[in-house]
Amino acid sequence: MYVWHFHCLFICCFNMLLVNLNWKDYGSAGRMDTNDSLRLASLWHSMHAISQQLSPTTGCNGIDLLRADTFDLHCFQSLTGTKFFVICEPSAPYMELLLKVIYELYTDYVLKNPFYEMEMPIRCELFDLNLSQVVQKDRVALLAR
Amino acid sequence: MQFFSGSTSTESSLLPAAPPGTGAGGPGNNAHMLYIFNRAGVCLLYREWNRPLRTLDPQQDHKLMFGLLFSLRSFTAKIDPTTAEKGNLGVPLLPGQGCSFYSFKTNTYQLNFMETPSGIKLILITHSRTGDQREALKYIYNLYVEYVVKNPLYVPSTPIQCDLFTKNLDQYVRTLI
Repeated sequence: MYVWHFHCLFICCFNMLLVNLNWKDYGSAGRMDTNDSLRLASLWHSMHAISQQLSPTTGCNGIDLLRADTFDLHCFQSLTGTKFFVICEPSAPYMELLLKVIYELYTDYVLKNPFYEMEMPIRCELFDLNLSQVVQKDRVALLAR
Repeated sequence: MQFFSGSTSTESSLLPAAPPGTGAGGPGNNAHMLYIFNRAGVCLLYREWNRPLRTLDPQQDHKLMFGLLFSLRSFTAKIDPTTAEKGNLGVPLLPGQGCSFYSFKTNTYQLNFMETPSGIKLILITHSRTGDQREALKYIYNLYVEYVVKNPLYVPSTPIQCDLFTKNLDQYVRTLI
């Protein structure tokens, strides 16, 4: 069977006005506490905006992919400005698809949840459950799409 | 040179052989801009080949670019999932310390970055679909070493004004795919 090609996965979503951070860590050496993750998310948000300013042509939507020595970072921005980013192994495939699937899960299990308050940290069991499933098992399903 | 393990100049040749770039060099240059900064943030060279949109004046633009790179380096060093022991966010990093990024991509451009052990930062901004430009950046760094650093009339940490360097640079960039 396939082995998922990332050794760690952080999923973070936050929007423009407030850093509403939901940070999921699927196994890594470099874990960090909440304060650090909040700082990093804010930093990412600003850099995403600055990169739009530096574009040589019009119509730039910010950073989609950041490649570093030991990891890759894929970012997806929804139409409302909420950003989802995932950190994975270099050249891990299907990360864009994964982000879109996670966005669908977010809209289904979080936004449509009547008990979820906007801008608050996400505490929806179904979301967490489905998220871990998508991340670990559904590789074949992703391939089929 | 251990830093450029195996890929570039030997003692005998003046310039390394150009890495394979098969572009015919016609109109529609793939590269948009090139920046070279030293470790203090002084912009040594800003070269522009194709830039339809300028949002800021040159000084602000250089500062913004340098600031973005500084923050991105701290960010990647801190968020690196493979090392457990990391410094605090915001502490200035030495060249080569911590995990560094080499490229990022947006829908309109791709920014390729290289930092040498002496703190010289090379930034090449190209079209969004170009491949890995690390070899190209190494070649440009070698051009810098040959035509700028070895030039006895060049004062370090001042903007570069060597004609030979810019001519060779333009020629090389035209061959990039």
